[in-house]
Amino acid sequence: MGGYSDVQMIDENGIRVDGRTAGEIRPVSINAGIIPVADGSAEVIWGTNHVIAAVYGPMEAHPRKIQKQDRAVLDVRYNMAPFSTTDRIRPGFNRRSREISKVTAEALESVVLTELYPRSKIRVEIEVITAEAGTRCAGITAASVALADAGIPMTDMVISVASGKINGVVVCDLNKEEDNYGEADLPMGVCANSGELVFLQMDGDLSPEEFQIAWDYNMEAIAPVHEMMIDALKRSNGGDE
Amino acid sequence: MATPPVPELLKTHLTKLAESDERLDGRGRFEGRDVIVETGVLARAEGSARVQMGDTIVLAGVKFQIMTPYPDRPTSGGFMTSAEVRPVCGVHWEAGPPSPEAIELGRVVDRGIRESGCIDMEDLCILPGEKAWQVILDVFALSDDGNLFDAFATAAMAALRTAIIPGERFDVGEDRPLPVSKTPMMCSYHRVGGRFVYDALRREEIGGGERIHITLGDDNHVHSLQKGLKGAFTAAEFDEIMEHARSRCAELRDLVNN
Repeated sequence: MGGYSDVQMIDENGIRVDGRTAGEIRPVSINAGIIPVADGSAEVIWGTNHVIAAVYGPMEAHPRKIQKQDRAVLDVRYNMAPFSTTDRIRPGFNRRSREISKVTAEALESVVLTELYPRSKIRVEIEVITAEAGTRCAGITAASVALADAGIPMTDMVISVASGKINGVVVCDLNKEEDNYGEADLPMGVCANSGELVFLQMDGDLSPEEFQIAWDYNMEAIAPVHEMMIDALKRSNGGDE
Repeated sequence: MATPPVPELLKTHLTKLAESDERLDGRGRFEGRDVIVETGVLARAEGSARVQMGDTIVLAGVKFQIMTPYPDRPTSGGFMTSAEVRPVCGVHWEAGPPSPEAIELGRVVDRGIRESGCIDMEDLCILPGEKAWQVILDVFALSDDGNLFDAFATAAMAALRTAIIPGERFDVGEDRPLPVSKTPMMCSYHRVGGRFVYDALRREEIGGGERIHITLGDDNHVHSLQKGLKGAFTAAEFDEIMEHARSRCAELRDLVNN
């Protein structure tokens, strides 16, 4: 979080720097089946974010020590490509990407029917090609579509959105400029049908009232994104049903 | 990806096909897949390209950093290539530090560009002995269905050709296009079913033998060669490949320069 600042990011009519209202998300487009050699794949273009996810498996889990006797393990990797940010990122894992990989895996494990594939492994590869703000959310959403595209049985699809606060105003889905001056960030991963949460993080400073508004903004954003996910899967699998 | 469980079966199949001079996807021996080049595909890179050849898809992004020139070349900038072949691009690529194959990919692509002299290193100098531009070329595989070498090399040149030096962002003058004076191009050949073929599929690579990579610059000057994997080839075989490379590199060069 950048902390409090004098930079005015929202005008007196509640219109943000990119012309959105407080509760509005950035333009989103989703496509499935974009990596021909993968078992399932998807891309999520969320504002300037461009995130790609590929799924391989279920396959044999090796080394054997990682196998679970009663279920499949989800091997999730979140990574930012070196050219995804203004300053080049040195290739390789870092603490941030490891943490995001971990919480993403745990979110997806909550909906994937892993018990159908004991002793096996499902690989989920999330690559951030262009980063704006909110890449972890776009990554979870892309991974959900890629898993569905791979035909992996799931109880639900996870959609992830974040709300935050700028200039003391709670807004949904911060872009990069807003994020630089953001005072809080509340990313959530919500199951489309059940409404349950499988991913939750927060940092910054929110009053109980602000927290409630941020929570509600996130919840309102779920249904429209879910529609786009379903539409992407229909398009990639040819036809309506 | 249809990775064959028994490569021996695949080898036999490829040998059978070779007897009647056929390939898995019906192409001729020296027939390449259609190449689609798009530029300006990465919003955060100063130059970028996406190349698709069949089911092989790669990205290339150019970034700039300010470096201190090396003491022995105080008026020269730098150029660095890094190949990212992450497990996203295929079931056979594993996580972890760059594999020897990925390092070889990056280095062979780097050599072809560097040795052609297409980037004027002196032009990258900002303040002799103190400041110069370092050009960083990152090539990234999205989908590997064979011949990442040529896809990377093609995407690399397309990205460099569109790169803008971000002088304003670094407060060292105006933005200007990166001068690229030549267009080196790579052609790769794999031994499949006993003879060399151009632009191998992943399954041809798995069931094939050694490979040869040729980078030719403008006027057909040779800038880099690499023989990879176990196997031996004759001078006559090399001549045949080289002759094809000369015409194919020219075609690819036209595509990139459009």
